[in-house]
Amino acid sequence: MTTLTRQDLNFGQVVADVLCEFLEVAVHLILYVREVYPVGIFQKRKKYNVPVQMSCHPELNQYIQDTLHCVKPLLEKGGGGGVWVTRFWSRGFLFLQNDVEKVVVVILDKEHRPVEKFVFEITQPPLLSISSDSLLSHVEQLLRAFILKISVCDAVLDHNPPGCTFTVLVHTREAATRNMEKIQVIKDFPWILADEQDVHMHDPRLIPLKTMTSDILKMQLYVEERAHKSS
Amino acid sequence: MMLHGGQYHVYYSRSKTTHIIATNLPNAKIKELKGEKVIRPEWIVESIKAGRLLSCIPYQLYSKPSNMQKGLNFNPACKAEESVPGPSSVAKQLNNRVNHIIKKVETENEVKVNGVNSWNEEDANNFSFTELEQIFPGRKQNGIPHHRDSAAIFNGHTPSSNGALKTQDCLVPLGHSVASRLSPDFTQEEEQAEKSRTDFRDCVVQQSPQSTRNTDAMRNPHRTNSFSLSSLHSNTKINGAHYSAVQGPSSTKSTSSVPTLSKAAPSVPSKPSDCNFISDFYSRSRLHHISMWKCELTEFVNTLQRQSSGIFPGREKLKKMKTGRSALVVTDTGNMSVLSSPRHQSCIMHVDMDCFFVSVGIRNRPDLKGKPVAVTSNRGTGRAPLRPGANPQLEWQYYQNKVLKGRAAEIPDASLWENQDSAQANGIDSVLSKAEIASCSYEARQVGIRNGMFFGQAKQLCPSLQAVPYDFHAYKEVARTMYETLASYTHSIEAVSCDEALVDITEILAETRLTPDEFANAVRMEIKDQTKCAASVGIGSNILLARMATRKAKPDGQYHLKPEEVDDFIRGQLVSNLPGVGRSMESKLTALGIKTCGDLQYMTMAKLQKEFGPKTGQMLYRFCRGLDDRPVRTEKERKSISAEINYGIRFTQPKEAEAFLLNLSEEIQRRLEAAGVKGKRLTLKVMVRKPGAPVETAKFGGHGICDNVARTVTLDQATDSAKIIGKAALNMFHTMKLNISDMRGVGIQVNQLVPTNPNPSACPSRPSVPSGHFPGGSHSVLDLFQVQKAKKSTEEEHEEVFLAAMDLEISPASRNCTFLPPFSTHLTSSVNPVTSKAESSGKWNGLHSPISLKSRLNLSIEVPSPSQLDQSVLEALPPDLREQVEQACAVQQGELHGDKKKEPVNGCNTGILPQPVGTVLLQIPEPQESNSDTGINVIALPAFSQVDPEVFAALPAELQKELKAAYDQRQRQGENAAHQQPAAAAVPKNLFRQLKPASVKEKKRNKKKNPISPPKKIQSPLKNKLLNSPVKTLPGACGSPQKLIDGFLKHESPASEKPLGELSASTSGVPGLSGSQPEPAGCGRPPAPNLAGAVEFSDVKTLLKEWITTISDPMEEDILQVVKYCTDLIEEKDLEKLDLVIKYMKRLMQQSVESVWNMAFDFILDNVQVVLQQTYGSTLKVT
Repeated sequence: MTTLTRQDLNFGQVVADVLCEFLEVAVHLILYVREVYPVGIFQKRKKYNVPVQMSCHPELNQYIQDTLHCVKPLLEKGGGGGVWVTRFWSRGFLFLQNDVEKVVVVILDKEHRPVEKFVFEITQPPLLSISSDSLLSHVEQLLRAFILKISVCDAVLDHNPPGCTFTVLVHTREAATRNMEKIQVIKDFPWILADEQDVHMHDPRLIPLKTMTSDILKMQLYVEERAHKSS
Repeated sequence: MMLHGGQYHVYYSRSKTTHIIATNLPNAKIKELKGEKVIRPEWIVESIKAGRLLSCIPYQLYSKPSNMQKGLNFNPACKAEESVPGPSSVAKQLNNRVNHIIKKVETENEVKVNGVNSWNEEDANNFSFTELEQIFPGRKQNGIPHHRDSAAIFNGHTPSSNGALKTQDCLVPLGHSVASRLSPDFTQEEEQAEKSRTDFRDCVVQQSPQSTRNTDAMRNPHRTNSFSLSSLHSNTKINGAHYSAVQGPSSTKSTSSVPTLSKAAPSVPSKPSDCNFISDFYSRSRLHHISMWKCELTEFVNTLQRQSSGIFPGREKLKKMKTGRSALVVTDTGNMSVLSSPRHQSCIMHVDMDCFFVSVGIRNRPDLKGKPVAVTSNRGTGRAPLRPGANPQLEWQYYQNKVLKGRAAEIPDASLWENQDSAQANGIDSVLSKAEIASCSYEARQVGIRNGMFFGQAKQLCPSLQAVPYDFHAYKEVARTMYETLASYTHSIEAVSCDEALVDITEILAETRLTPDEFANAVRMEIKDQTKCAASVGIGSNILLARMATRKAKPDGQYHLKPEEVDDFIRGQLVSNLPGVGRSMESKLTALGIKTCGDLQYMTMAKLQKEFGPKTGQMLYRFCRGLDDRPVRTEKERKSISAEINYGIRFTQPKEAEAFLLNLSEEIQRRLEAAGVKGKRLTLKVMVRKPGAPVETAKFGGHGICDNVARTVTLDQATDSAKIIGKAALNMFHTMKLNISDMRGVGIQVNQLVPTNPNPSACPSRPSVPSGHFPGGSHSVLDLFQVQKAKKSTEEEHEEVFLAAMDLEISPASRNCTFLPPFSTHLTSSVNPVTSKAESSGKWNGLHSPISLKSRLNLSIEVPSPSQLDQSVLEALPPDLREQVEQACAVQQGELHGDKKKEPVNGCNTGILPQPVGTVLLQIPEPQESNSDTGINVIALPAFSQVDPEVFAALPAELQKELKAAYDQRQRQGENAAHQQPAAAAVPKNLFRQLKPASVKEKKRNKKKNPISPPKKIQSPLKNKLLNSPVKTLPGACGSPQKLIDGFLKHESPASEKPLGELSASTSGVPGLSGSQPEPAGCGRPPAPNLAGAVEFSDVKTLLKEWITTISDPMEEDILQVVKYCTDLIEEKDLEKLDLVIKYMKRLMQQSVESVWNMAFDFILDNVQVVLQQTYGSTLKVT
């Protein structure tokens, strides 16, 4: 009857694994739903007991995997904290509970101006323990709800202009940038500071999609949408 | 007299003469003999007649002849009136006393104290005895303020216990006691009045410590004021008196003129907002004194050791004694060698004074010897009137439950007890005194009275129980004497407490060739000689055995536990006698069928460790076998320093609480300074009235049934500055978001102590950095980093300093766009060890406070706040770097607070009560920062008063401007918040002007609120309902999708009870799943955002619907409440729910016939959008 708490070494790993897994699925799905890539490159799979779409384009998959790979070690550290005033923006895909407050999938138009941002805001629940949910089944349910929300978000979002591309931003706290070396597990996959224009969206509208609070994770997903997408 | 052991001194000798016998004395003599006992001759005669030493108090002669005359005259008068209860006699006594005081005051010519002055004026009419009754009311009215005055003045004097101020100190209490005569106690029973008057006179005249002891009937609490005259630290007692003044006003409240006063009295002393409250509190807290003494005595022993010359007078004396004896008894030597055999193994002596407080208290009261005596702050019969609202039975029941069941008990049903109360109230309107007995004599223990018992209860057990007041000064003196005595033999002393010490006597025995028993006897004799108090001594081969032996030795005995006896002895001991075995462990052991150490010996180590944890298990295993390898530690490292007050904490305004915290921080600073340490970790502990517990506690000023709330934060540098501690404490306090009036106790603890002397090794490495590495005026990270790299090699050992510096450099860097990730690679390597260190300490902290862990991780790599910076290091830096450091520091300071305060907003808060103090989200766009498109997140700036103007001035101009703007904005919002609502209500306010307050409807609404709210709030934070609730809601929430889709599409079902989220989910053809939406309430934190108590979305919906459909013109207050709820949701990062709420309201309100509702919705939406804009940089898309 082991009770995992934040003190346990593998606890951070558990959370990291869960989150990485989820984010991978979520990114693929967003790309599919928002039609960033042709529908043809996606395959139907089953995850969290619901159908999801996954790209089968090797390079894209590699990119997503690499980013996640870099993220994991930091996640395992566990912990959390306040919000630093200064934020860094990095291209790529990274989150860590400790240093990351937001993981953002940004969809850019042809001019590389963001039209949509899927923001995963990650915080820690006040009481961190998975003792009451040792099979994480409840977490899975919650994550499934996220996936489902993503898959139907086109209903509440306007259509994107053609020729979109995407990038992943991570809002970290200042301290996190110093841990970047650790994150850089894979060579030639560095984090860079995001350009202002990647980040700033003109006249954004906020559409909340889903909020979850579980024993191990507190996360909310919302979309920031440019008011006039075609312009 | 000679026959009976008395001595007659022809010439007066201050040191030898104990009593002066006289019938009349000239004024000059009286002045000279101030502080001596001047007794009438009857004392001797009657003492001889009685065959024992009578208390000299009733025979005291007055130093002022005029007073004496009156006093003596009144003696019979009062006696005569004893049988005639009524105000008149009281009045006379009052007058009598007042006269004394005036005289005293006048003769002292020290009437400069305001309070006393005023008394003089008033007292002018006190001579007309007959008019007293008529004068009373008028005087009473005057009396209250003056009473206060004098109390206040007195407070001012509390710290000064030196001779210079003595007169003043004396005077004020005098005035005070005059005041007190006017307050409730003049209604007391007559015989007590008589007695107390006597006492009073004693005290006034005598001013000697001896007068502090008093006879039982000290009902009148204010009398202690007069006692205080006699002792140097009179504050203790004065304050004590305040307490009892409130605690035990006489039960016979028949006189109609009293109530105003009795009401006024309690409010005088125990106002935590009073700036002297803390020092007052500590000066009268016995627990505080005890712990302080222990520290002092440990320090004393340490000092002795440092100064030790290796010569111990006591030891020399013993040696002489021994040689003298052995010369006489030569034949004893053979015997001796046998006896002294144990001296090769270690021999520990445990010295413990017998019922310390009592024996000190009665050492000059021979008449109390052999009687049941208790030291307590209460006097009299031990009854106090039941204050309205207090429910002692309830609390009693609660504690009983807690003790018996060993778990956090539920608060018993109050209504159950109310019935009983009312039944009781018919007869008695008083309850037993809740003053604790600090110590009681062995005679008292025989009848079942125990230390820590409430006095009232004890008095019932033993009606003849005599109460003796505290005399902290004497305790200290006696403790000191005892330690000095011990120190004359050896310096290997461990100060266990003020009345208890462990001495390693192995060496002494070897040197003096005394047997342990002989030595113990010698020590005991000497202690008794010096202190007039009995001490018990236990001797054993280790600390444990010595302690156990002392138990057997008590009272006033000694016991040497010889090695061969140990086994039998220990087997017969009760486990509860073992040190470290408390009540809970005892009950645990009893459950295991273990009563004695013998039983315990049958348990295996593994079993014990499994039951009690590895350390305790091992300890038990060893202890029950009499094994104990702890050395006599003469020097103990302090692990923490704290100041806690949980008495009399009743705040009415946040301001008071904040001021109190700052005061407490100062107290901490004093203590840290006194201990010569700095601390790194701060813990703020607050006791909050448990929901459902009675507001009025059974013990006046006590904390009652409470929940404990604690917050911890680790500072980046150890500190002993009250300013820093205060700031941190305030921040923590704000994150708790407590209801101020429910606070019952506050404490600050400082952990992770380090010695104050600064680390000198940090300095040299600084200058070693070549200044050439600093291109003038360059803010480039690249440059900085190169410097950093250069430093790194030299500074690895000064990790922390280095780290701080690095932070400093990064902060400015972050303002530059040139910061590139590759640099971080180098930086990280050196950061890592520290981060991991922080983490491990986080682990140490445990699950207990997730916030603290977080903040630790952040703070540990932050720039130290300016005051923490080592000035020398700073100065050693090259000028440009220094400038940067300072700058960064200034920025950082702003951030630090923002950072800490942000936490709750971040959703990590565990303490948001439904009435948050009004922290408002603020966000200032900061255009010049390349990296922040959403701007600086100044969630909670430090209070403007906390901003160091120098730091502010050092900030770059733009930053200054921004901060100013932020503060302005905050002030505006703060003003709004003061009106209970944070939102920027200024603009649309006029919209609501026309709305008439619909009070009836409001009431109705309130009624609706109430049943919902309480159960939600009481949720235990530990209970995790998360797992269950959503699962349960899942099936129900699915609904019938098709119908909902229709409803949604057509937008014409305003009465629909289904949440919009479900609808939208349903439209997309994924029915049911959104039902698993997590409820913030489910996570079990009590302060989840709620709308009038409703947390679950369905509840909120119901409430909203009812509100919108039944009321035609909404109250502004209610609208603001909704806004507040929405803002809370944003803070809680529950945008989904916010979205649902907004959509739901939109549907209902916009379809309402009343245009008011449309406006209301617009207003709410506007406010929400503003807050959202500040938090997220974007606004909600409302379709």
